[in-house]
Parts: sequence; structure tokens; C-alpha cells
Amino acid sequence: MNKIHLEITVNGEARSMMVEGHRSLLDALREEAGLTGTKKGCDVGDCGACTVIVDGRPVNACLMLAVEAQGAEILTIEGLQPDPDTLHPLQEAFMEHGASQCGFCSPGILIMAKCLLDRNPLPSDEEIRFGLSGNICRCTGYTKIFDAIRTAGRRMAAARAQSVEA
Amino acid sequence: MTKHEFRIVGKSVKRQDVIEKITGEGRYTGDYHLPGLLSGKIKRAEIAHARIRRIDVSRALAYPGVKAVLTHHDVPRVLHYGSPHPRSASCTMDQYILDDRVRFWGEGIAAVAAVSEEIADEALDLIEVEYEPLPAVLDIDAAQAPDAPLIHDVGPGGNLVIPPVHIERGDVEKGFAEADLILEGEFSGGRPVPTYMEPNVCIADWDGSNKLTFWTSTQTSFMVRGALAEVLGLPLNKVRVLVDHMGGGFGAKQDLFQHEFLCALLAKKCRRPVKMEFTRRETFLAGRSRHPFRLWLRQGFRKDGTLTAREMKIVYESGAYGSHSPGVTNVGTASATSLYRCENVRLDGRAVYTNTPIAGAYRGYGVVQTYFAIDIQMDEAAEKLGIDPAGIRLRNAVREGDIAPSGHPVVGYGLEACIRHGIRAFDWAGKRAADRHDPANPAIRKGWGIGCEMHGSSAYPGIKEQGNAIVRMNEDGSVTLLTGAAGLGTGAHTALAQIVAEELGVPFETVSVVHGDTDVVPWDIGAFASHTTYLVGSAAKMAAAELRQRVLARAAEKLQEKPGHLEMVEGVILVQGQPDRSITVAEAMGPSRGIPAEHLVASGSYMPTKSYSFAAHFVEVAVDTETGIIECRKVMPVHDVGRVIHPVAAQGQIEGGIQQGIGHTLTEDYVIDRTTGRSLNAGLVDYKMPLSMDMPDIETVILEAAPDPGGPWGAKGVGEDPIIAIGPAIANAVYDAIGVRFHHYPITPEDVLNGLRRKAAESSARD
Amino acid sequence: MRRFEYHEPTSLKEASQLLTSLGEGAYFLAGGTDLFVEIRERLRQVRHLVNIKRVPGLDQIEWSDQTGLRFGAQVTAGQLEASGYLNGRYPNLRAALKALASIQVRNRATVVGNVCRASPSADTIPPLIADGAVIETYRPGGGRHIPLAEFFAGPGRTVLEPGEIVIAVTVPPPAQGSHRAYLKHGRRKAMELATVGVAVSLEVEDGLCTGARVALGAVGPVVLRAPQTEAILVGSRLDAAVLNAAAEQAMQECTPISNVRASAEYRREMVGVLTRRAVMLALEEAA
Ligand code: FES
Ligand code: FES
Repeated sequence: MNKIHLEITVNGEARSMMVEGHRSLLDALREEAGLTGTKKGCDVGDCGACTVIVDGRPVNACLMLAVEAQGAEILTIEGLQPDPDTLHPLQEAFMEHGASQCGFCSPGILIMAKCLLDRNPLPSDEEIRFGLSGNICRCTGYTKIFDAIRTAGRRMAAARAQSVEA
Repeated sequence: MTKHEFRIVGKSVKRQDVIEKITGEGRYTGDYHLPGLLSGKIKRAEIAHARIRRIDVSRALAYPGVKAVLTHHDVPRVLHYGSPHPRSASCTMDQYILDDRVRFWGEGIAAVAAVSEEIADEALDLIEVEYEPLPAVLDIDAAQAPDAPLIHDVGPGGNLVIPPVHIERGDVEKGFAEADLILEGEFSGGRPVPTYMEPNVCIADWDGSNKLTFWTSTQTSFMVRGALAEVLGLPLNKVRVLVDHMGGGFGAKQDLFQHEFLCALLAKKCRRPVKMEFTRRETFLAGRSRHPFRLWLRQGFRKDGTLTAREMKIVYESGAYGSHSPGVTNVGTASATSLYRCENVRLDGRAVYTNTPIAGAYRGYGVVQTYFAIDIQMDEAAEKLGIDPAGIRLRNAVREGDIAPSGHPVVGYGLEACIRHGIRAFDWAGKRAADRHDPANPAIRKGWGIGCEMHGSSAYPGIKEQGNAIVRMNEDGSVTLLTGAAGLGTGAHTALAQIVAEELGVPFETVSVVHGDTDVVPWDIGAFASHTTYLVGSAAKMAAAELRQRVLARAAEKLQEKPGHLEMVEGVILVQGQPDRSITVAEAMGPSRGIPAEHLVASGSYMPTKSYSFAAHFVEVAVDTETGIIECRKVMPVHDVGRVIHPVAAQGQIEGGIQQGIGHTLTEDYVIDRTTGRSLNAGLVDYKMPLSMDMPDIETVILEAAPDPGGPWGAKGVGEDPIIAIGPAIANAVYDAIGVRFHHYPITPEDVLNGLRRKAAESSARD
Repeated sequence: MRRFEYHEPTSLKEASQLLTSLGEGAYFLAGGTDLFVEIRERLRQVRHLVNIKRVPGLDQIEWSDQTGLRFGAQVTAGQLEASGYLNGRYPNLRAALKALASIQVRNRATVVGNVCRASPSADTIPPLIADGAVIETYRPGGGRHIPLAEFFAGPGRTVLEPGEIVIAVTVPPPAQGSHRAYLKHGRRKAMELATVGVAVSLEVEDGLCTGARVALGAVGPVVLRAPQTEAILVGSRLDAAVLNAAAEQAMQECTPISNVRASAEYRREMVGVLTRRAVMLALEEAA
């Protein structure tokens, strides 16, 4: 199988790698780029554990070929922290509310929640539920995840309002 | 219990393991990569019962990139158990690594190692198999038929996995004679599977000294070590099992899944590390389910609702191998001695082999099935006798001193407190008096129901359990806890650290937990049966208490005081009554003139008594009478956990259990074709777990009603409980909504519509 | 995943030639959300994937008052859902898109891909059929316009010829007094394959139904039109009696099978319930 030269930007860092045409973006991220934070729960688009942001949109990395991401900007869980010493407000809230148990769903859910809050900082309960409908969590019953997203949204909105005032 | 001001226990401190999980840095077994790593894949049978007449791997072996292929000709033929509880008398030796016989659709029949997953996968297609089909036994009835084909030549006879479990107490005939009302019914349940999000995965690597290092996602690392050593013929110190983070287990990841042995043998053959990762489909085909069951229940009641007699027969479907059937049958059958007190009981429990996927351990172990039946019949009795359903439960709820399923007297009884609390907080009477109609939608009927449960913390006395912990005080005052308990995602390690910090008198942040390396940590039977907090927690508390004495003794020497005059609070050692005289733990541990720095170690081992947790669940459902769809809208779980160590983690356990319980009751069923034994829904779309949009509002209540003297500060288990009571609560609420009784799960929309039709036909026949 | 070769042609002509010359085991890749699943679950033996994403001109969404909505083969379900053209015009298609798998999947899945897979349970097909959508294709000898209702040859099969490529779908503009709805039946509220899907598209003038198209999903080898049900609706005032009669008729017009998701009998019953509810919902939806 011939390999294709792939250039992508992951979490702000330019990366280049050789990938086979059949490689999924998920496998390329995990194996070629060594970014194992993104998880494989099903490999067929049903669980959301592999959710990453490609050019601003959340997608299942298992349902996309690596070569299809040519030139794309990708954000994975490893890029969610604003800097190495600071957690994203969502991560803070996940800690506080116990929104992560086994944690296998957490990278995908955090990425999905970021997309949701970036677009809509104060989502209703219905909007949160709808936003997570492609992400399976089998440990938490989702209640703590909903709480954490609401908390993070409120804090992010407040911080934004403050920085506008300042 | 003496009154104790808690500093750390009972607070939702930050879970140490969670930070790694939410940053993506936490490593799960599948995240590990070794140089030269090969990929292993399993060829799975596509027939339910057969003898392998011929298996030809020559084409697969010749395929470029393939490094090794194993069939039953190439592996040691050692009979072993799938559920390796070495201290339990009741495990079944009925499995081979690979056999010349297939006993269920999906069983592994060969394994390939290759340089990539794709190549290994492609090579599977090149393996040619010729079967001699055998008649397949595909359900409980077929297994019990007099002339049923036999699936194993071991076992007590017929397709029984173990000799029937028989329990008899009191005088059942007399009890029924005293009854004003006798109810009899048959119950059954489908095949829910745990569906943890992390598919099974392992990596095997051998070193030059013939030592096996084995990374895996298991709840029972020491048992994996034991089984690998036994089957591969190695001493225990030549097998090192490593478990880092794991993505859920819910009980099922206590077994060995065949791939562990194959992975180790492939690695040995190739002299290279091998990784085997299940696809999601394989987690269905080769994973474990709850036991499907058939149950017959007959109970006698007095007019006031008091139970007078209970007779139950249950048959659990074990699938192709025994796995946890001995434990499940014993625990499940015994569970029917209790929950609602009854002096006269006669119980019969069996487990049978069938040519279907293996049923194993799953949260609620054997009890989900029996309490489903008992709690539904309790509702029927309440209705017949004109008593409130919550009232009849209060009348019969197990009390302190009653004989528990384990045979021990019950210590503390939280059940009554749970029911009473829920009656008030849920506004039970108000809701049950409300209109069943929904003004917004004429097709909807609402209903409210209750279900109860009790479940033991730890598997004692079925298994002689022991909790172990080692606590080290380092020379800078920081503390290391070593535990063999796996971190399956429940926050148990945090709870253990809290217990150590509390008992020692140091800040929570100074305690770190080492786990998951069988070469380093103390032996542990495994993280299951709600055992970790209760049993290992007690051991950790003992170790911490001893360590505290030794630290104080050392500090006393430095302060020239009697140890008895010292106390340790938040890492500071104070002389009682002399607030100006204190040193930090670090100062106590560090060197000073004439006293070299020291590193103190204490260990604790704890043998349990038996403790029970209790719960009552109150639910609201809405039934669409045109589509038959049942929506669970509200749940109020009220749980007694003795003492809550980490409230948020305990709530999370409860809410996750409810999610699974709702699924089992309404939508989840792993379906095996009744004619071929083929699986029909091995995937996350057709195996329907409730997702974000489907979850009800849950208002969790945790009570500390009945602390257990055996647990740390009275703490008991919480992991198993929530999945048990929710099922009958939903079934009872559905009856309340539409007046149709269901004696099985899952209750499908078709069942609802058929039930409504039956009811309409009956009432028109009456008119 | 199984291995395959990957191709990125830059024109329709090249894409079409590639597919013809690569022969058996060569498939077009649009969004891939179904195709990759079929490859991994070994339902399809794929040797070559021909990705049409570099072919220019297939990513447009256009609206005109005269010809209606037109979207190209590269348009994802998510893009179409967010485009704003559907609001008030195609609430049925909008509902179907919203019910399709998950947000993540919709950001990859193309609507044309969902249609071309020709699954009887595909969410987007019933509303597109009810709204009279037309398929536009490219062929070396000249493209075609195929009414969607005539596009399917059976489960998983279309009337496309080898090397023929769907380039766009056109949906006519809604007429005056148009009312539309799509209802999907599943056990869960999301991440479902439809057990039954019903789309209706009605025209109503002064309370009188002047036009009706009813499309039934997941209850036949292909998505079905229900002409006799439509005949009951047209000319009526859509009162309760008419709705019940239409529901009864729709149950007669479908040909469901039993599988692990539901029995044939249950599916048939749901066709009745959903047809009635879909008409009621359509009447509520502002046209
Ligand atoms: S791994 Fe991609 S959706 Fe499950
Ligand atoms: S925390 Fe385990 S699956 Fe969500």
C-alpha cells in the first residue's frame, strides 16, 4: 500500500507524517502522532469517544480517513488546556462534579462540550442533552456531566462578560 | 460509634486519578506501545455447536506480514476456569485455551499475530475451517429437556453447571396454610451486557528470563496472574500483571476472555510483544452478559400484608461455559431468603449450559433477577389486599437481627429508613393520587412505582476475601498507599486515600496511591462485589492507624514527650494542651541530631464480616399507549451506604447504575437467534443503551442510616445496589400507568401494545 | 479496517473513468460514515476508494424561488441543516437531518451519500421523496435527471449505471399552503436507525387538502410512496375520521419485515400511528 504525505496542524502544532490511504484519522492520531488521549470505543461512529474538532467542527475521528484531513486544523483533548498549568473551565468543572468516572468517554465528551459552549455558552438542559447525543457514557448516568457543562458554561460566560467590561 | 469530626471523609475531594483522564494523559492499556509490537486477532466460530473436523492455516501463515498462527493443535491443552476465583470452591473447570469443539457462535478457534492489525484481520479470512455440526441447545428449556444434547462432559450431569442449590428454612407448608392470599407467577429476563466503553485489550511481552509482563484491562489483576501462571505452567513471580487506568468493567472484567492466553502464547512464539484489542463487536460476541433466567415464585400473605411463606425456583442460563454461574446461582438463590422477611422459605437455584455467549459477573450479581420477581409480586399482593405498595414493603422490610442471605444476622437495617424517606421526599401519596393522564398528550398515561433492594458488600462468605493495604510514610512526610485493588473508574482509590489521610491525620493531598502492578502491590482479590471501599478501606485504615502510632512514637522521641500526649492533625504533630509545641510530620520524619531520617511502613490485612447496603427507588414513567414506548421520567433513588466517604463519587455510582438498570428494563437485550445461535445485535446502535436524551431526572438521596461496624467508619458498598431496585420500580410504575403487569425484562413497546390489547379483550369479555 | 487504495480525482470525468477502470471492489467515497462501517464490519469488500472531494462545484447549497433548493454531492447533513434554507420550507427534511445519527456523524455524512446508500431506513429519503426531489447525475454520455421516487432498485441498489455519479439533488419550492412533517420511530431519542419513518407533504387551501404526498421509510425494500393514502387525504378537510382512514390505508400500503428492531406487525401498526401524527404535526408546523 503506498503511503501519502500528510500535513496537518494538531493542537496548534504543524505535523507531517506518512500514512496509508486506508488509515483512519483516529489511528493516525493515536499511533502516528502519539496522541492517545482520543479513545477508540467502537471504531464505527457509534460512541463518540474519538470526537475531535477538525476545522472547527466536531467529527468522529474513526469515520474519517487521515488523508481527508490534509491541511486541516485539528483539536484533540491534549489541546484543550489553555496552557500546561491551567485547566479549561470544562475540565475544572468535570473534576468538581465527578463527571468523569472511568474516563474513557471523557476526552470525546469534553471536546463535544467545548463545541457546544463555544457556540452557546448558556445552553438549556435540552440543548446539552441534544449536544451529547452522539457520546456514550456508561458510568455516570450523564447527570454529573450535565451539571459540569452547565457550571463551566456559566463561568465562561461570566469571564467573557468581565473581559468585555474591562 | 463515637462521635467523630471528619476532616476528609465525607467530603467530595478532588479525585486524583481524574485529572489525568480529563487531560487525555491517563494511560489505558490500549494506549501503550512497545517497540516491535505485533497485532493479534482471533478467528471466531460462525456456528453455535460443532466439532472442528479440519482447520487449515497454511494460507494465513503464508500471507505477507503474518508472524504466527495458533489453533488447538498448537496450544497446551489445560482445563481451566473462566472465572478465576482461586479461593472459591465453586469455580468450574470447563475451558481450554482452544478446543476442537465449538460451544457458541463467536468462540475463538484460532489466533493470528501480524505486523499490523489490518494484516492480522485479513489473514483471518484465509483460515479454512471444516465443521461437523452438533445439535445446538439455545435456551433454558432446550437445555433442561430430558434428551438434550450435552455441551460439556464435566459437571454434575445433564447440562447443569453445578449441583442445584437448595435452601430451606422454617415450615413452608405451615406458612402457606396460614396465608390469606397466595400468589404464584413466572418471571424471566433477557440478556443485558455491561458494555463498558473500553473494549477488552491486553499486551503480552516476555523477557530473556522467561518472565511474562502482561498489561490488561481487568478488575482482578491477581487472578489474571494466577490463571496465566497456572495454564502456562509458570510460578507466580514469573508473571507480572499491570493495570493502569481502565475504561469500566461493571463486574464483567473479572473473567479471562480467552485472548489473554492467546496473546501470551503468540508473543512467546514470535519472541515479540503482541497486543490484542477487541473490536466493539467482539466485546459482544466474546464478552459476558448478565444471566438470562426463568423464575417461578409463590408467596403467601396475611390480610395485613405480612409474608407467611415463599417458594422460588430459578434457572440461570450460563451460556457455553460456567464462568460465574456458581457464584451467581448461590448468591441469587440465597438473596431470596431476605429483603422482605419471611420465616418459611424453600428455594431452588440452578444454572444450565446452553450454546450461547457466556454469562458472567455483572453488577447486581444474581440478585437483579430474583428481586425483580419478588418486588413485582409484592406489588401484586398490595393491590389484591388493598394496601399501599410502599406500606406493604414497610411491613415486611428486613430488620436488624434477621438472618441475611449470607447466613449472618443483619447489622443495622437501612431499608425502612430508605422507604420512609422516599415516601416523603418523592411525595409518594400525592403522586399516586394524581391523574394518570397527560394534558399535553392524550396518548400518554403516567404512573409511579417503587422497588427495593439489599446487597452485600464483599463476596464473603462465598469467597474468603481479604483486604490488604500497605502504607508508607516517606522521609519528607508524604504518604504512599499501595493497594492491589483496580481503579475501575469508581473513584475507589480516592476513597482509600481519603481514609488513609483521615486516619493518619495528614492532608489528603499528601497521600498518593500506587496500584496495578502485581509485582509491587499487596495481593487483592479484585475490584468487585462492592468490596474495595469496605474491605480494602478497612485494611488501609488499620495500616494507617499503625503507621500513625509509629510516627507519633518517633515524634515523641524528638519532642521528648510521651506518644500518648501527641496528636496529628493535618500533618502537624501537637502536644496536647500545649499549643506552642508542635512539629510537622516532615520534621518528625527527617533527620535530626542523633536520629537519622526514617521511612516507616505499616500494613493492614482485613477479613470481613458481612455488611449489607439498602435502597428504595421511586420512579415516574410515561407510557405512550399508541406506540407502546415507555419513558422513565423521574427517579429518586434513596440509598443507605452506612457512611459516605466521597458523596459525589457515591452519587455518580448510583446514577450510572440507574442508567444501566433503565436500559435493562426497557431497551437493552443482546439477542441470540433462536435457531442458529448467531448474535443479532452486536453493536451500539442495535444494542440500545439509554443515552443523554433518554435519561430521566435523577434526584439521588444518600442516607447514613445503618453504619456497618465492619467498614471504615461504618462505610458499606454502593456499586452493585443501584442497578437492582430500578427494574421492578419501573415495571410497577408501568402497571400503575396502564394496568398491565409485566413479568419480564426488557419490556418492549410491542409487549406494551400486546398487553393493552389483552387487557382490552379481557375487559370487553367481562362486560 | 481492511486495506484499500485511495484516489482523489479532480474532475467528474476522471472520477467516472477511474471507477470504471478499477472495476470490481472500487467505490465512490462521499462522507464515508456508512462506507467505513461496512468495510470494518466486512460487509463490503473494498479495494479502491475514489474520493470526489477534490472535484470542484459539488459543495454548493443554492436556493431560488423558481427551482427551489439544490445541494451538491459534497454537502454534509450538518451543512444543509445549518444552511437556513430549510427553515419554513422543508421542516420535514430538517427534522430528518436532525434525527440522523449524531452531530459528529452529520458533520461528515453527505445527504447525497445517505440517499445513494439506498437504505430503506435512511432518514433523508422519505422527506425528499415526499417533496418531489430530483437526482442530477453525471455520465460520460450525458447526465440525467431522475425523480427520487424512481431512483431505487431495491435495498442498497439504485438505478445508477457504472461510472455514473450523482452530482446534486434538487427539491422544488413548496407550493402555497404547504405543510410538511417527518416522524421517526425508534426506541431511543437519538442514535437510532428508523424502525419506521413517515414523511408527509401536504397542500391545504382554506382547510381543504389539495395535494398530498406520503412517503414511508423502513417498511419495504425501498422507501415507499403511499398513493392510496394520499388519495384519501386529497380533497378532504383532514378531520379525525379522514386521518384514521388514511392511517389504516397506509398500514395496508406498506410491506414491512420482521428483524431484531421490530416485528412486521408492530412496524405496520406504527405506520398507522405515525402517519396520523405526521399529518397532525404538519398542520401545526407553520408553512
Ligand atoms: S470510536 Fe469513533 S465513534 Fe466510537
Ligand atoms: S466515565 Fe466511564 S464511560 Fe463515561
